[in-house]
Amino acid sequence: MKNLPAGADLLAIARRTLISELRPLLGESARYTLAMVANAMAIAAREIEAGERPAREALARLDALFGVAARALTGAALHDALREHDRRLARDIRAGAFDEDGDRRRALIEHLRESVEARLRVSNPKGLEG
Amino acid sequence: MTNDHGTRERLANFICAASGAQRVRIARLERMSGGAVQQNWALDAEATGGPHAGVHAWVLRMDAPATVAESLTRSEEFRVLQAMHDAQVLAPRPLWLCGDTAVAGSAFFIMERLPGVAAGHKVARDPALVPDRSRLARELATNLARIHSVQPHAALAFLRTMLARDDIAHYRAYLDTLEESYPVLEWGLRWCERNAPEREETTFIHRDYRTGNYLVDAGALAGVLDWEFAAFGNPLEDVGWLFAKCWRFGRDEYPVGGVAAAGDFIDEYEARSGRTVSPFALRYWQVMAHLRWAVIAMQQRERHRSGVEPSLELALTGHILSDLEHEILALTEAGAA
Repeated sequence: MKNLPAGADLLAIARRTLISELRPLLGESARYTLAMVANAMAIAAREIEAGERPAREALARLDALFGVAARALTGAALHDALREHDRRLARDIRAGAFDEDGDRRRALIEHLRESVEARLRVSNPKGLEG
Repeated sequence: MTNDHGTRERLANFICAASGAQRVRIARLERMSGGAVQQNWALDAEATGGPHAGVHAWVLRMDAPATVAESLTRSEEFRVLQAMHDAQVLAPRPLWLCGDTAVAGSAFFIMERLPGVAAGHKVARDPALVPDRSRLARELATNLARIHSVQPHAALAFLRTMLARDDIAHYRAYLDTLEESYPVLEWGLRWCERNAPEREETTFIHRDYRTGNYLVDAGALAGVLDWEFAAFGNPLEDVGWLFAKCWRFGRDEYPVGGVAAAGDFIDEYEARSGRTVSPFALRYWQVMAHLRWAVIAMQQRERHRSGVEPSLELALTGHILSDLEHEILALTEAGAA
């Protein structure tokens, strides 16, 4: 745990305390609520742990897909660039620009799969097992 | 609505007049769990005189504070339940509709209360509730075929007609209202557009026919609930929704809503309805189901995010989006266009 960012570490220990010390005191309905709280804390902790890496990797894939020179962006600039790419990607997919089988379509599918998997690792890592 | 003396008295007076009773005594009025969009209240009452004399277990169904734009009004849902009752569908029998908001704060109707358990995680996970899976699958199939036997008609003219291309246009229009883009959902929608059926049959459809929305009592299907999304459309949309992985409550070994094997349902549905459910159509409507659930999940997340209805449950619903996208990719990559 000592390698986690301080915020993620706090969330992790708070969650463990919630489950080990408070859960046994609760009835069925409150336990259900507690499970939701614990789940929300786990998601938040995983999001902090993942940091900017998923966004940086997505930008690299999309820069390559759209033939843009690779950029090393962080923070708001990173998210703005990604949002711009996503907007274009969404428009192109809807317009049928990726309908034809080929390298571009395969690169798109690969990007979509990796993006979804990165989000699943935060939202619900169990979803990757199936 | 609050359960105070005045409300009970107004309710008793309304039921008295609507049912032709001489006197109605309300023994219990209690908020039931579930129903983020609608509020359900358990209502136990005793009527003296008139055709409904006796002790009754009813449900009072009314709008919750935050309504979803897509859902029917109580008066429309009441008429839908009447049509389903006429078609011998297993569903709660509707009794009286009250449009006078002075009685309980907003419009409501009263229907009979059916016995049984609806909670999806219980129905899918407690084997004691469903001792004969094949039987439940056949009952779900028979009942769905009856629902789909209702053709578009004047008494239900308020229902929208939503065929595959209408669904696609509708979901795209929603995505266009958002600041962020959703490439995976666009991918799924494009796939659905390119693989859309040439011709579609149009029948009455439930649009939320899934585990969690029907009651199981003594191992049998007791009735179908939650009719607020009903429309006219492709009957196979309901089949895809019932089969979709997102409604299996973790029991993927049972494709029919986490409760039964596919064959038990499909054979019975085909025999009762005269329709064919091809493996591709089943896959197509499962993709559509995940797209639709994704849009609803985003709308629920928005209710939380916008501050209209801050709620942990709604916030977490937004996080199932990646599971839905994951399944959309899995279903669409497996071939065809």
